[in-house]
Amino acid sequence: MIHVNILRFREGRYAWGALGLLALSIAIYATQGGRVRAGGGTWQGYVLGTIGALLIVWLTVLGVRKRRYSSTFGSVEGWTSAHVWLGLALLPVATLHCAGLFGWNVHTLAYALMCVVIVSGIVGLYGYLALPRQMAANSGGSSRAALFAELFSLDRQGRELARGCDAAVSEAVRSSIERTSIGGGAIRQMLATDRSLFMSGDSAQGAAQMRVVANSDQQAVINYVARRVPQGAKRAEVANLQALIVLLSRRQTVLRRIRRDIQLQGWLQLWLYVHVPLSVALIAALIVHILSTFMYW
Amino acid sequence: MDVLLRLVRTGADGAVEYQDTELSADVLSVGSAPDSAVQLLGAAVAAHHASIRPSAPQWLIACIGRCKVTVNGKRVASASLKVGDLVEIGGHRLRLIDPPAGFDLGIEIEPDPTVDPSAYERAFRTDLSMTWLNKRRVAWFLAVLVVVATLLIPYFSIPRQHARAPRLPLLPTDQIWNAGPLTPAHQLAAGQRCASCHQELFVHVRDAACRECHHTTADHVQVARLAQTRLGPAQPCADCHREHHAPATGLVVRDNGLCVDCHANSHVSFGPLKVQPVTGFSASTHPGFTVSLLKQGDALDESGRGQWMVRREPVAGAREQSNLKFSHAQHLDPEHVTRLNGGGALGCADCHTLSADGEHFIPITMQRSCAACHELTFDPKAPERQLPHGRPRDAILLIQDYFVRQAVDPTAAADGFQRRRLPGQQAEAPPCTEAPLVCATRRAQDEIEHQFTTTRGCAECHEVTDLHSADVLERFRITPVRLTRDYFAQVHFSHRMHAVQQDKTGDDACVSCHAVRKSNSSADLFIPDLPKCLECHTEGAVADRVTLQCTSCHSYHPTITIDRPRELVAR
Repeated sequence: MIHVNILRFREGRYAWGALGLLALSIAIYATQGGRVRAGGGTWQGYVLGTIGALLIVWLTVLGVRKRRYSSTFGSVEGWTSAHVWLGLALLPVATLHCAGLFGWNVHTLAYALMCVVIVSGIVGLYGYLALPRQMAANSGGSSRAALFAELFSLDRQGRELARGCDAAVSEAVRSSIERTSIGGGAIRQMLATDRSLFMSGDSAQGAAQMRVVANSDQQAVINYVARRVPQGAKRAEVANLQALIVLLSRRQTVLRRIRRDIQLQGWLQLWLYVHVPLSVALIAALIVHILSTFMYW
Repeated sequence: MDVLLRLVRTGADGAVEYQDTELSADVLSVGSAPDSAVQLLGAAVAAHHASIRPSAPQWLIACIGRCKVTVNGKRVASASLKVGDLVEIGGHRLRLIDPPAGFDLGIEIEPDPTVDPSAYERAFRTDLSMTWLNKRRVAWFLAVLVVVATLLIPYFSIPRQHARAPRLPLLPTDQIWNAGPLTPAHQLAAGQRCASCHQELFVHVRDAACRECHHTTADHVQVARLAQTRLGPAQPCADCHREHHAPATGLVVRDNGLCVDCHANSHVSFGPLKVQPVTGFSASTHPGFTVSLLKQGDALDESGRGQWMVRREPVAGAREQSNLKFSHAQHLDPEHVTRLNGGGALGCADCHTLSADGEHFIPITMQRSCAACHELTFDPKAPERQLPHGRPRDAILLIQDYFVRQAVDPTAAADGFQRRRLPGQQAEAPPCTEAPLVCATRRAQDEIEHQFTTTRGCAECHEVTDLHSADVLERFRITPVRLTRDYFAQVHFSHRMHAVQQDKTGDDACVSCHAVRKSNSSADLFIPDLPKCLECHTEGAVADRVTLQCTSCHSYHPTITIDRPRELVAR
């Protein structure tokens, strides 16, 4: 399991590294006192601030490196493990740097952004630890592409079967396939909302007067086809309708898995939409923090 | 509006199929999204491509975003539609037809037969990156917002501050760079104008900025003297006085390092400046005290007398040179001296009055401290007549005037002239039989000599020199009295806080440090030395001892300039 290895990479070498860095920072912090109050303005504060700033820059680079799979400079697991542990160490290092002195200023803004970035990172880490298991259980081990391939194959079969039914059923099944809703906006992906539709018609004769109706979870079209079974005139027609019901039910299952997969992956990715932009904002605030410190030296 | 959608499809056998759909909607959406009223598939159709709405008496098709449609062969973003018009979207053909009865609008839809039915996948958004959520755009927005709001706008507010223009409402100023609260006094004086102290960007706050207000504060060591040492340039004010989130003790540094960082190695780093090394407050780490004493030097002033100056001498062995004859032992002995109103022995506070600062004493003067007992009368018959103190020439003239008047004014004296008599030492002067003026002059002469040469007149307290001049006005010279007013001008010591010491109060507390009871000479110095302080005080936290820091007694910034000790004399 890769997500376990991230934290325990090479016997947790980065965990020990982060702990060592933390111990060093505490030792530096503890030498403060005497005539000057502990804070970012003492030489210890400058050292801790430099460590923190280098950590932030390095962690950002790690974030970029993690996404460059073609690079051969270190392994992705190693970089990720370092990113997690050093990112966690950053919070106490920065807190020691500022010695818990806060205000309504750009310095505290940088700290607050850093906190949000770290907390979102912890949320993401939790996701990486918890969600892949659920995703694997949901998809039965198959990938999203495999699920879609299965769905498209069922769609094709469905269209073929529908062609052999009367016009109303044919249009209902065809429209239920074409008007199947998967995913959608961010909120619909996250909540796995299903706004599928299909065209339901009453007449079984020729061109039908049809209406677009809701088909959430494909249940409406399955029920529609099921109601047609007793009206079947010929055995072949009934068999065709029954085959359609089986197929639509299989399709229903696949769609549920796809939606759940999209939902879980959404939760797995959502933190990044906080983590990444705020990291960039943090770099900007960090630059202003350092610049303003030395402008008003 | 009620809409009839008629799907026209040509089968593989060439037969045309019609399929009608009824819709009731205010606006007819057209696009590849599954929830579109008119769902058209294919890569050329956007999820939400266009909308058709009534625009009486016709219809209006309007594209969404950058999409385009072809209406009657012309590519447009929007167009009015009437019955018979043909709209083409991504190969699909939509034609407005006469609506059947009960419908407001009829559209015949002829799908593009070349579009693969599986193209509807394109309408799905299965990843957050395909939604409105956008890392890159938000990142750029936030980064630019941070830089503009916390760097650029504050930066451009600085010239307005220099011009003393009012701050613009709602816009951030350089206050946003404020690292922490100022001390209240600085907040009051400069809290709204960072530039009052931060006068130049990327430059430490300069001492000149501090001195704009604190111009009376003196340097610890004058620049010229500092240059003789190996200490390097003077420390900037801000090295010690750290503003923004100042410690709870305030801006003033109080730890011993303030002093001993330099003074521990004074014998090395101070060069020619002779300052004894100090590393703490104990017999081995702190030198003995040196007092500042007023002494008459060899150099003469304009009147030919030795010039007064302040000399610093070790307490051990130092002698006062006040030129006053005074015995503490005698004054404190009730056998010799009692209070005027019969209140028993004199106490310290009868002469020494503590100043309001609790440190110093109101200066001893004849008028304030002695005259209540020591009247300057010279004739027992005229107890109301007193000699002027401090003006010997006037005193001589007064004596002469007095006796001449006694001689020439019959109402002035009833029974002749008498010498001033003192208890137990009296002999009646022989009566004068000569002319009254001669007698008066002789009596005056006698009295003047009595005052200036015996220990019963001026010379009782003062040093008098007889110059044997023929002119009586020039004959006697009284050595001026100078009492040292501040033995440790640069040191704080609160007498008030020491008025109660362990089990001692009142005079007992005074004499526990100032051993005056057996002193018969005004040359005795009663200033205690270091060991006396160490009886109660230590440098570190020790049980049953009061801890002292350097700053408990010493100030970094001198209250008077060390190079100009004469100011002491002027005071």
